Amino acid sequence: MNPITVPSISYFTMAPMLVLFVGSVLLMAAASLLRHRLPEVVSTATSVLLGLGALVVSILQWDHLIRHGSSSTVAGALVLDGFSVFVNITVSCAVILTALVAHDYLARLKFDSAEFHILALLSASGALIMGAANDLVVVFLGLEILSIALYVLVALNRKNEKSAEGALKYFVLGGFSSAVFVYGIALTYGATGSTNLAKMGTYLSANVVHRPGLLLAGIGLLAVGFCFKIAAVPFHMWTPDVYEGAPTPVTGFMAAVAKVGGFVAFLRVFETAFSTQQSTWAPLLYTVALLTTFIGATSAIAQHNVKRMLAYSSINHAGFILLGVVVLTKAGFAGSLYYLFTYSVMAIGTFALLGVLGGARDEDHDLTSYRGLAKRRPGVALSLALLLLAQAGMPFTTGFLAKFGVIEATVAHGEIPLALLAMVSATISAVAYLRVGIVMYATHDVPTPVSDGSSFKDRAEGSLLLEVEPVATTHEVPVAPTTGLAIGICLAVTFYFGIAPGALLDFARQAAQLLR
Amino acid sequence: MVEQKAVDTYLPVLLLLIVGILFASLSFVASGLLAPRKKPTAAKLAPYECGIVPDREPPTRFPVRFYLVAMIFIIFDIEIVFMYPFAVVFRQLHTFGLVEVLTFSVTIFVALLFLVSNGALSWGPAKILTKGMPSRTSDSTIVRISAATSTEQAA
Repeated sequence: MNPITVPSISYFTMAPMLVLFVGSVLLMAAASLLRHRLPEVVSTATSVLLGLGALVVSILQWDHLIRHGSSSTVAGALVLDGFSVFVNITVSCAVILTALVAHDYLARLKFDSAEFHILALLSASGALIMGAANDLVVVFLGLEILSIALYVLVALNRKNEKSAEGALKYFVLGGFSSAVFVYGIALTYGATGSTNLAKMGTYLSANVVHRPGLLLAGIGLLAVGFCFKIAAVPFHMWTPDVYEGAPTPVTGFMAAVAKVGGFVAFLRVFETAFSTQQSTWAPLLYTVALLTTFIGATSAIAQHNVKRMLAYSSINHAGFILLGVVVLTKAGFAGSLYYLFTYSVMAIGTFALLGVLGGARDEDHDLTSYRGLAKRRPGVALSLALLLLAQAGMPFTTGFLAKFGVIEATVAHGEIPLALLAMVSATISAVAYLRVGIVMYATHDVPTPVSDGSSFKDRAEGSLLLEVEPVATTHEVPVAPTTGLAIGICLAVTFYFGIAPGALLDFARQAAQLLR
Repeated sequence: MVEQKAVDTYLPVLLLLIVGILFASLSFVASGLLAPRKKPTAAKLAPYECGIVPDREPPTRFPVRFYLVAMIFIIFDIEIVFMYPFAVVFRQLHTFGLVEVLTFSVTIFVALLFLVSNGALSWGPAKILTKGMPSRTSDSTIVRISAATSTEQAA
């Protein structure tokens, strides 16, 4: 028998994912071996420490990358390059922030905190695998590790019907999209003879495909699979329900980690393997990006539930990040990566605030319950307003620079109509953010309940905002120190890098340059 | 040409896709055309229970332990999927393969540990029911089960 040659493995490339994965397995072992429930402090601290560990290793990787350039390992299945290190750093930060946000939330809603942290760490390690994967099968592996843990996380609030509904929808549609993705892998394998992205790219650049049906169908199916994960229109239907149903810290985590993992894999697959076919798939993604920005923005305006509004706004953001995939230039990649990092931070911060404002049972997410918030809780209202304005693209925040980066890259590539329309959509979505601000600041305190006998049904639709059930201020949730710390970090990052953007912009630019 | 060959190989897949779509759409069209248009009756809307008219509401809550057992089964099922090919080539893989498979097995085992610690294998009476009981004897268990069946019959 032929001896099997074991491929050389660089554990340094895999270190961040190993830290998160092994850490979560150890946490799982500890949680199951202890007689009592693992104290919340222990699981949160473990999660934060693991996130910090992964972050430190990722920074070492960055240093190595700058000095020695990119490299691949495990027979070319995993790479250490700008994209992978970027994902490692972003996801590690998201893990730390989410752990801090979740600490108080889990205790308040009496969830099993170890379970949450185990699943979040596993999910994050899946995102890291997606970020470093240079083989479609490994991309799929990462995608599933990321998604399956997320399905469970969404269902964590199992006493809440919406949580169960969201989880089931996410699971069914996610499973379906995974199947589509695998079919895409099969067809592109049939067309190019490899699942390795580099080999596919080499094959496609060296050969002209005479009958490209198989290849194009494969690329299309892969694009559909990715578009589902990043919630691009028309594959976005699950997003509002899942974002609304999921426990709020999970929503923030999802908005950050699932998007980062999905987008970076999307970028890598289409750049490394299919860049030669750009003329065929670019019009499709062009349309998808346009629809995503517009439907996200217009639907966000129509929402009464703030969580749903932010779900649609995340669709709008996904459209902007997609611009970087459409143009497929280094500037576009830099723009998309920068956008992903800054959006992750803003999303986690915003959803952390929503988790606090959701009340004791995380259910009060209606816009009406935000009335007069500026008077009742000025600090919380100001933080939320600032983060929402940053998401809208206010100057001196990272949100502005993020939008500027992708639009600039789009214009530089000559897609001026697309850039203009995307900017129009940004203006539309700003209405949705400003509306929340107006409700918090420009309305007076919660009005007394309607007691003149007229029921809600008698009122005109437009006056719905003014009449509310009295918000019981008694179960107002204070901002716990850990949550406050996380929100503070998010605000600081959003404003510091908005005013002094040099370091972060350089990081994204270099990461885009160092693509293997 | 590789493409030529690849297209030929995948032609059945494409055909199956077309046939699948046709079958599904034709089924809908056919049932729409052929089905008698009569208003639904109470009997038609009732859940089908082997043709017998149900005389009471179907139980809404039931223990989900079987699902947990199914999950444990799947975990080990997947472990075997990887163990089997490993067993075939483990001599060629030397220590590396052994370490890899041991790592894999440990991970799987921790997952089982977590399931067991969460009560996936506790088949005794539910904890809530035993709370008030001084000790679980054969008497108490039998009484509880018979009480449960009698209430079920009454309902």
